[in-house]
Amino acid sequence: MAGSPTDERVRFGEEDLRGRLRRYRNLRITEEELAVALLTPVLLFLLAVSFYPIVDTVWASLHSGYVIQTPTQPFEFVGIANYEKLFTDASFWNALGVSLFYTFVSVPIELVFGLGLALLLKSEFKWKYLAQAAILFPWALPTVINAKIWAWLLNPEYGVISDILVRVGILSSPYPFLSIPDVALYSMTGITIWKTTSFMALILLAGLSSIPDHLYESARMDGASRWRRFRDITLPLLKPTILVALIFRTLPAFQAFGLPYGLTGGGPGEATTTLVLYTQQAAYNNPGPTNGGFALGSAAATVITMIALAIALVYVATLYDPEVR
Amino acid sequence: MSVLDSARNLRVEDIGLWKIGKRLGFYGSVLAMVAISMFPVFWILLSSLKPPSELFVFPQEFLPYTITMQDGELAVVQQFPLTLENYRVALQERPVGRYLVNSAIVASGTAIIDVILGAMAGYALSRLRFQYKLQVLLIILFAALLPFVSRLIPLYRLAIDLQGTVFGPFFGLNQYLGLILPYAAFQMPFAVWIFQAYFNELPDSLEEAGLMDGLSRVGVLFRIILPVSMPAMATTAIIVFIYAWNEFLFALTFMTNDSRRTITVGIALFGGQFNSPWGTITAAVFMSILPLMVFMLVFQKKIVEGMTAGVGKA
Repeated sequence: MAGSPTDERVRFGEEDLRGRLRRYRNLRITEEELAVALLTPVLLFLLAVSFYPIVDTVWASLHSGYVIQTPTQPFEFVGIANYEKLFTDASFWNALGVSLFYTFVSVPIELVFGLGLALLLKSEFKWKYLAQAAILFPWALPTVINAKIWAWLLNPEYGVISDILVRVGILSSPYPFLSIPDVALYSMTGITIWKTTSFMALILLAGLSSIPDHLYESARMDGASRWRRFRDITLPLLKPTILVALIFRTLPAFQAFGLPYGLTGGGPGEATTTLVLYTQQAAYNNPGPTNGGFALGSAAATVITMIALAIALVYVATLYDPEVR
Repeated sequence: MSVLDSARNLRVEDIGLWKIGKRLGFYGSVLAMVAISMFPVFWILLSSLKPPSELFVFPQEFLPYTITMQDGELAVVQQFPLTLENYRVALQERPVGRYLVNSAIVASGTAIIDVILGAMAGYALSRLRFQYKLQVLLIILFAALLPFVSRLIPLYRLAIDLQGTVFGPFFGLNQYLGLILPYAAFQMPFAVWIFQAYFNELPDSLEEAGLMDGLSRVGVLFRIILPVSMPAMATTAIIVFIYAWNEFLFALTFMTNDSRRTITVGIALFGGQFNSPWGTITAAVFMSILPLMVFMLVFQKKIVEGMTAGVGKA
């Protein structure tokens, strides 16, 4: 890194100690020194709380007996045994399927709805700020509390969604949305679309407002239709923002935990058990006498890391275009 | 009136109608979106104010009062009595107040760390010249891609191991810092990004003027840059605060003691799926989202601006 100890020693070699002290007392430090001073805390912090735990999880996934305060347990290297156990677990594949469905159905729909919402919020109108606060509010809602809200709205006996559907004549009696495996998964996906469309809109709105107005003006002068202006100006210039929005949404969606936990507890059966819920349950709910759960949980967490990085890589590779902006 | 005139009138009216229709369509869609977004909140508020006898019925009552015609006169008819009983139970028989305080402590602590460290790193990455700048930025941003769950087990074991040692009160189970530090680390890349994007927009002359006036680099940082970076600080603080307020996985794992639980965990663990005290739950839910609603209303401009600064320049 810039300004490593050796560099500094070489540079400071010419100065005597007194001069160095005075320089520091007056804080006349160079740009590079200041940069090192400002960046070191952040990098150390991330190293300790972000990077080290990830590596430790990979390490733990290759061992048995990753246990808590039981030094009698042997801590042994077992190679890929934990992964073999994971990949032969039908629940793992089910959870992977649930997470993939949930992610790749909800995110594209959110993107389309979010774009519409962003275009709506781009224009100025009366009471805009009140409307905007209301429309963006679902984004700020805690996922697990959102889950509780919808668990009540979709309650099998007293749910208001059933109530409305009965009133308009679609249903004749309350419908147990969350008790039927497939319907529970669709409901969960729908709920996340309801909540995170506002987040998509927020990001895309940011991208839209950074497109200069004169582009639209000159396109209008040239007689470009509304659709052509959208297709030839808005979409290409919005591409980087769409990339950010997709990464920002896909990765959290793939790591959904609070919503299934609070809405259905992963049920009925395992119909809404996402990958992270599976991991958490493997690690904490049934650790067993040898705390094998932590080893299995670590293996699952490592798989999640790999998939998340792969998703990010694919997005960046397909959508990153250095020509734009 | 000649035929020609009426035809002209008709056309003018048609254009007027078309415009009105467009406006109606626009406001109609805005109103529809507001309704869709806010209906669950309205329903939670309504449910929390209902007595148990009204909560567990089907069909449900939508409005506490209706206006009906009685003997040719308008009359307000009460459909059911509104009650604050659920709020009393939530606050007195359940430690919902405590949960809210815990959440506020954790969220504020996270926001403070991210604002300070994020501003420092963002400033260096945006406005100072040094080697390996891009690499440092990429390392920080890379941290944002690492899943949260993949840090859970090692940090949890660390917290358990530190129980009873001198570090226990700082980073053990049931310690605020046990949540604050992972949250701050998770949101750090975002904070750094917002700050560096914000600093990129400031003119270079800012520092030069300070240096010319004899301020040191550190002096420039504190006397000039710090005051002008308030908007970025506000944006970062708000978004990080909301994130920390909402987090659930770590909060569930690290806070095993009920008196240290945050509001998300407190509400999630309120009752079973089938026999839940929905009156109390909806009251607690409403109390937990009220601060967020006020936040959104007051700070939405800052949030949108911050996103524009950060994401729009991506």
